[in-house]
Formats: sequence, C-alpha cells, structure tokens
Amino acid sequence: METIVVEQLSKAYQETQAVDCISLAVERGEVLGVLGANGAGKSTLLECILGVRRPDSGKVSILGMNPVRDRKALFQRVGVQFQESRYQEKITVGELCAVTRSLYRSPADSEGLLSRFGLAGKQKCQVSGLSGGEKQRLSIVLALLPNPEVLFLDELTTGLDPRGRREVWKCISGLKQEGLTILLVSHFMDEVEALCDRICILNKGRTIFAGTVGEAIAASPFTHFEDAYLWYTDEEERQYESV
Amino acid sequence: MRVFRVMFGMEWKLAVRGMDMVIFAVAMPVAVMIVLGMIYGDRPAYAGASYSFVEQSFGAVTAVAIAASGLMGLPLVVADYRSRKILKRFKVTPVSPVLILLVQMLVNLLMSLIALVLVYIVGAVCFGLRVEGSWVLFMGAFLLVAASVYSIGMLVGAVSPNIKISNLLCCVLYFPMLLFSGATIPYEVMPGALRRAADVLPLAQGIKLLKTASLGLPADHMLLPLAVTAGIAAVCGSIAIRFFRWE
Ligand SMILES: Nc1ncnc2c1ncn2[C@@H]1O[C@H](COP(=O)(O)OP(=O)(O)OP(=O)(O)O)[C@@H](O)[C@H]1O
Ligand SMILES: [Mg+2]
Repeated sequence: METIVVEQLSKAYQETQAVDCISLAVERGEVLGVLGANGAGKSTLLECILGVRRPDSGKVSILGMNPVRDRKALFQRVGVQFQESRYQEKITVGELCAVTRSLYRSPADSEGLLSRFGLAGKQKCQVSGLSGGEKQRLSIVLALLPNPEVLFLDELTTGLDPRGRREVWKCISGLKQEGLTILLVSHFMDEVEALCDRICILNKGRTIFAGTVGEAIAASPFTHFEDAYLWYTDEEERQYESV
Repeated sequence: MRVFRVMFGMEWKLAVRGMDMVIFAVAMPVAVMIVLGMIYGDRPAYAGASYSFVEQSFGAVTAVAIAASGLMGLPLVVADYRSRKILKRFKVTPVSPVLILLVQMLVNLLMSLIALVLVYIVGAVCFGLRVEGSWVLFMGAFLLVAASVYSIGMLVGAVSPNIKISNLLCCVLYFPMLLFSGATIPYEVMPGALRRAADVLPLAQGIKLLKTASLGLPADHMLLPLAVTAGIAAVCGSIAIRFFRWE
C-alpha cells in the first residue's frame, strides 16, 4: 500500500520551472530522501505535495487522501517540519508545545519528546532565545507531536552538531521501525545513506535519479555515494551544455 | 472549542506580554480621559447643556482603543504571523488558519473592552461621568464601530506584502484617525474646516454613533453614520476575505 503518491506534479514561479513533472511513490514504513542542489526545487516539491502551494498540474495523495480537500482529517495523521521555522515572538518552548498539542486528537507527550531531543528543562525558555540547533530540534519535536503516521522533514539536521545529528538519526530510525513513512529533504550524504531506503535526486525541478543508494553507486563510476551524487548532478550539467 | 480556548489563552498571554497593545489600546485612552477630565472638570459641554464635556467625550475616548487595536494591533500581528510563516504552518494542521485570525480579532476586541471599562471607571469615579443613554445601544454601537475599524485593519493585514508596507499603511490610517476624527482632540473644539475634513474619516462617523448612544440624544441624524460604519465593515471585510494572502 503506497502512503504517498505523486503523479506528474509541476509548479512554475514567474520564470523558473521549480518542479517539472515529478512522479514518486513512498510505501508505508519507507523513508524517501529528496536530494539536489540549492534551488533544485526540493522545498517547492514538498510544499506542493502538502497542498500549501498550488501546483500547476499533477495529482497528490497521502494516506489515500487529497491534502487540500481532506486537510482536516489528513493532518491529524501527518507531521511536517518546514525548512525554516519561526514562531510567535515571546512564546516559550512549553507554551508552543502546549498550543501545538491542542490541535490534535491524540498528541504525543511533549515532555518525553523534548528530553529525547535534548531540550529537557528548556520549557520555560523563550523560543527566540534558543540556539540555532536547539530551534532545529524543537521543530522536529513539533513535527512529531501529532503522533504522525507520515512525516515530512525539510533539512532535518541542518545546524545540528555531530552528536545531535546522530541522535536525530537514531530517533528517526526508531520511528521507521514503528512503521512511520517519511519523506525527507537533505544535503548530507551520510544522513541519506544512514536513513533512506530510496532516494530521488532533483536538478532544476526534474528527477535525474530515482532508486536506492546502492543502485545510485552501482550505476556510476564511483564507490562512494557522495562522489556518485556529484557525478549525477555534474553529468546533467554536461548534457545540458552540449545541447 | 477546546482548540479555540487554548489558542485564545495563549495569544492573549502573548499580547499582554508584548505590551504594545496594553500601552496603545488600554493605557492611552485612559490617559486621554484623565487629561480631558483635568482640563474640563465637570463643566457642561456648552452653556446650558444638560451633560458635561467629559460625558460628551466618553464615546470618542473609547474609540481610541478601537483605533489602536484595530489599526495597529490587528494588521501588524497579521503581517508578522504571515512573515514568520505561522499562518502557512497552520495549513498543515487539522485547524484552519482562519481560526488564528479570529482569535486575534477577539484578543484585540477584549483589549478594547477592558479599555472601555477602565475609561468608564476613571470617568465615573474622578469626573462624575454618567451614561444617560442606553448601555445596550452604546454597546451595540461600540461593537459595530469595532467591526468596521477591524475590517479596515484586516484589509491592511490581508493585502500588505510585508511588514514594512503594513507598518506604513497602519501609520497612514491610525494617526490621522486618532488625531482628526475626534477621538483625542474633541470634535466640538475643532474649527469648522477641520470638522468637515474629519467627517470624511470613517471613525468620525462611528464616534457620532457612540456619542449619540451614550448621551441618549435623539437618533434622527444617525442614518448616514450608521450606513457608513456598517458599509465599511461589509465592504472592507469582504475584500479582506477575498484577497487574503496566506504567504
Ligand atoms: N516564492 C517564490 N517565488 C519565486 N520563485 C521562487 C519562490 N520560491 C522558490 N523559488 C525559486 O524556485 C526554485 C526552487 O526553490 P526551492 O526553494 O524549491 O529550492 P530548494 O531545492 O528547496 O533549495 P534549498 O536547498 O536552497 O532549500 C529556486 O530557483 C527559487 O529561486
Ligand atoms: Mg529548500
């Protein structure tokens, strides 16, 4: 049973074709990584899938529902972390968690999540006073508060220290064991190798590779995933120049 | 309903913590009442008037709170929440982002109701203020004027692409209305030319309603102010809803 299905999704801003006819599917319990250079269209793709942006064409279904039409039912079961998150001025960590919990029917325990992500004891701190990495952890906590079945993460560990990243990976792997379906955007190849069952590399809004990390390495002349990734994105550039 | 209660509690706490509206929407009208009271004491509004100058000004002073909360508080918070992507984040929750806008309107309305109560208490205790007219009519007028001013504020918040522009629009709307619609400088002491200019400001029409209701004056000239106030609420409100930018 496929949890996330995207068919021929396209989205253009004035001049840029940010997402160009992308199709993908993520099965239940699977982690899909979306990769690509800055401006490749990853965040736009995510936002179109979530229904926050209106795609020009294409179809999306999450848990068999339409994210725009069935928003209320769907987002009881979906957690989202956007690339950049800012919150109300002067709100504290505890207050933000409490308000977020109130939006859901059966939310997770915020205390447990906060300590799992190294934010225990920060409840009374204002969010604006947290460090960059702490804010990032908080945004993951908020995405997990709904007790979601499906999780969307846009650059989940940007700004985290090495230990923090490992801890987040451990937690995400644990959630995956429990059957969570995850679509994540990342710039870190080690992270993608550690977490993703399948990947999808974007360039200028188009999919240039879709498959497993192993397949990506095998189809390239390299043995390291990072080299392979660079080779895919470079090759696309070369073809583009020769046209 | 539970979501609404939690959100209202939170946004109220944040508004109080932020202090801006406590100063501009609550402390400011109370201060205006005190200043007017100290200047005019219990003098009648004009020779032979049956009500005092302070009583005549009561409705106008409460409008200071409506103007501050509706033309500063509301549009700035909407623009701020948009630029922080808080509205956008609501779109990926089971709750509609419209709810937070409603909550903000009520938070601001509560601020101006508190101001109304305090202005009345200060006026009644210190300057012998009494409301001769009907409280029910007065509250009706108060809510109608609030609806009208808040819909202007919502329109500003709805269409401003960024905080800078909404700041600018707020200043352009708020200060003239504050000074020239009779809210702070009493309409009755303005020279004739200024009065005619003031009549164009929607808040000046709203203040006429508030005054007539609080003084219990005959309502025969109130059709125009009533139509203007309700009309603005309807027109600005629907444009704001139609063209609201979530991002
Ligand atoms: N609101 C917008 N209006 C116009 N153009 C936009 C807008 N948002 C994004 N773009 C453009 O669309 C393209 C894709 O942007 P997007 O944010 O999806 O990239 P990304 O892959 O997430 O990049 P990054 O790795 O930097 O987060 C870029 O060229 C960007 O300039
Ligand atoms: Mg991005």
